[in-house]
Amino acid sequence: MNRLRQFLNMKDARNNLRVILIAAVLLQLIIAGQHIYTRRLLNNELERNAENDLRLKAVLTRGMLNSAESILHDFEWDILRNLHNPDSIVGAAYWLVKNHEHLKGSAMCFVPDYYPEKGRLFEPYAGRVGDSVVVRQIAGPDHDYTQMDFYRGTISGNLPHWSDPYIDTVGDSSLICTYSDPIYDGNQLVGIFCLDVSLDWLSDTLNARHAHPSSFDMLLTEDGKVIVRPPADHIKSHDVDQVVRMINDSTVRRSPTHTARSQAIDFESEADGADGYVYYANMRGKPHWQVVTVCYDDELFSRLNQMTINVSLLMLLSLLVMGYIIRHYRRNMLRLHESDIEQERLGSELRVASSIQQAMLPQSSDDIGARVDVEVHGMLRPAREVGGDLYEYFVRDEKLYFCIGDVSGKGVPSSLVMAVSQALFWAVASHTSLPVHILRTINQTASKNNDRNMFVTMFVGVLDLPTGRLRYCNAGHDAPVLISKGRPQWLDVKPNLPLGVLEGFDFEAQECMLMPDTTLLLYTDGVTEAMDASHIQYGRERLMECLTDCPQDACQMVERVAQSVSDFVDGADQSDDLTLLAVHYTPPTMHSTLDEHITLTNDVRQTPQLNAFVDDVSQRLQLDKSLNRQLKLALEEAVVNVMQYAYPMGTKGNIEVSALADDQELRFIIADAGKAFDPTQALRADTTLSVEERPIGGLGILLVRELMDSINYERIGGKNVLTLRKRLK
Amino acid sequence: MRTDIQEIDGALVAILEGEMDTAAALEAEKALEPLYQANGRDVVIECEKLDYIASSGLRILLGILKASKASGSRVTLRHMNDDIKSVFTMTGLINLFDVE
Repeated sequence: MNRLRQFLNMKDARNNLRVILIAAVLLQLIIAGQHIYTRRLLNNELERNAENDLRLKAVLTRGMLNSAESILHDFEWDILRNLHNPDSIVGAAYWLVKNHEHLKGSAMCFVPDYYPEKGRLFEPYAGRVGDSVVVRQIAGPDHDYTQMDFYRGTISGNLPHWSDPYIDTVGDSSLICTYSDPIYDGNQLVGIFCLDVSLDWLSDTLNARHAHPSSFDMLLTEDGKVIVRPPADHIKSHDVDQVVRMINDSTVRRSPTHTARSQAIDFESEADGADGYVYYANMRGKPHWQVVTVCYDDELFSRLNQMTINVSLLMLLSLLVMGYIIRHYRRNMLRLHESDIEQERLGSELRVASSIQQAMLPQSSDDIGARVDVEVHGMLRPAREVGGDLYEYFVRDEKLYFCIGDVSGKGVPSSLVMAVSQALFWAVASHTSLPVHILRTINQTASKNNDRNMFVTMFVGVLDLPTGRLRYCNAGHDAPVLISKGRPQWLDVKPNLPLGVLEGFDFEAQECMLMPDTTLLLYTDGVTEAMDASHIQYGRERLMECLTDCPQDACQMVERVAQSVSDFVDGADQSDDLTLLAVHYTPPTMHSTLDEHITLTNDVRQTPQLNAFVDDVSQRLQLDKSLNRQLKLALEEAVVNVMQYAYPMGTKGNIEVSALADDQELRFIIADAGKAFDPTQALRADTTLSVEERPIGGLGILLVRELMDSINYERIGGKNVLTLRKRLK
Repeated sequence: MRTDIQEIDGALVAILEGEMDTAAALEAEKALEPLYQANGRDVVIECEKLDYIASSGLRILLGILKASKASGSRVTLRHMNDDIKSVFTMTGLINLFDVE
């Protein structure tokens, strides 16, 4: 059993582990799916955000450029107004730069030889150096603006022009862009007016605010030169070159984006392997600079990742807790299961005990043979599987032995005492025909070793069937009811004491005569004390009522009372064992066609007369020779037995033998006036012993029993009356 | 009833005839006394003409059997009628005797 349990435990543990593992894998799969789905959603959202961001920044940049352009256009009027005074233009330029802090400088590049007095080239310039603005003419052989891109580009295009970023060699060597616009006086080209815009300022503006510290923005020219880059101390500044290269590389696969204007590239940093996205878009209008935003996965999805990890951990923890709980419950279940098995075992043992107990009881009148003179019916309904009630009946030598009993308590202990009591009744009643002797003997046994104070109430009756004489004795049991012609009355009963109370108690014997067609009903207190739901007892009055005008038939009577009790309690729990036993006395009346008598003395030498008497009877009944021999032998044995034992040695006494017969049976009645002597109580001779063990005597009564159908003894009116019967049909 | 004892081929043969009731058994017991001293000779009880036997008769035969067994003799019952045989069967004595 233990090994089985260990095996089951191990198997359980393994099963538990397997279930938990499967659950874990499933949950992790769900989390992973959820993660991917969320990430995709988030990605879409981020792209949209990035695009909006890009557009915003493009607008912002455009705005800055616009402001520079409008400053320049506003100032053109000043220039045209002061063309006659070139020096005043320098003063105006000073104020222009002074007033606009994001301007690095401004210059007017006059077409060659515009002011002959100023030389071929003239370029008044106001430039910011530190906090102050310096004004000077910067044109010269080493600064020939006519050869410079901005000048030539603007002249040739005849349109305002933004230069590519370049190092400000004139000013403080910072990165600048120059906006140049050709200026006309009427139709005549005067020169190119330039504004140097600080790109540092743009950079500061673009990178001023970022939700994610590692993201950064850039501005590139149309052909991919860097205008604005993140500050050198930015943590991802090492990726700038790679980003620029990717944007410029036409072979890099670009992701489709929401609008044609913005594009996205999956990006993996060559420097640190970080994954990210590059979003970029061209600005509207000239210059078509590209606004670039670079974002990194670990930052974009860091919260998602963290959330996923947290959820996973939480789930694993829950699974562990669940596993523990399951294990705990399984154990309890196993324990419950074991106790169930134990209960089941006890239950099945009790069921077996119950059927054994029921089998101990005589089941029907069949147990006493097909008898016409008595009908017995018993019923025992235990409150639990087994009970402490008992009844028993059997016929021996034309006497019905019966008892009903009730062991104190209920259940298994009572059932053991019940079994013992029933067996004792059997054993004792098998060789004594007086109820008082039976009860005295059982009481002796029951009183010994009765440490547990188990008592038995018992009523024992012995009904002599030929005569209707009922001998009875009571041991504390409820008085039975006698029912005659539908009228019930209590049998007069001395209570005495229950069995097992007092060793050696002198029980008082009683007797009465039963009239033909009388029924004796015995019951246990389970009947009278049966309670309905409101705890009202069935009681003796209801029993008497029920028995009034009841059929005398034993079986019907028992069933009627049982039904009446059932109806009364109406489904309430049966609190005590319920037992009923009915004895219906129905002696047939004999209309004898034969009435022969012979009187003998107690002298065995008179056996030939007896044999002649039997021969005569046989002849009159026309019995065959073999039956005649059997009757002769039986009668001789019975009479010789009386001759030898009824009268004391040396005294004379008479023995009367009568023969009665109808067409059913032949009856011999042997009566003597000697001392009370019951030959039926002699122990049966053991016919299996060897020659040496075999006693010489004891054969006579054995032969009588074997040859006749029944033998019956009664002491009536100071006489021993022995009746022998032989069925003729 | 009548009883006769003969010695045939070294065996004691008792011939019983008539009805061996209790009264007759009292007489027969004396007549059959020689059978109690068979002294190793086999005993045969011839029952062909025995019509009836009561338990007192059975007791005599059982007594003879006990005595004979003690001296190593066999006791054989011969030619019993059905009723007598059934009496022996009822009492179980049939198992103790040799029956022919």
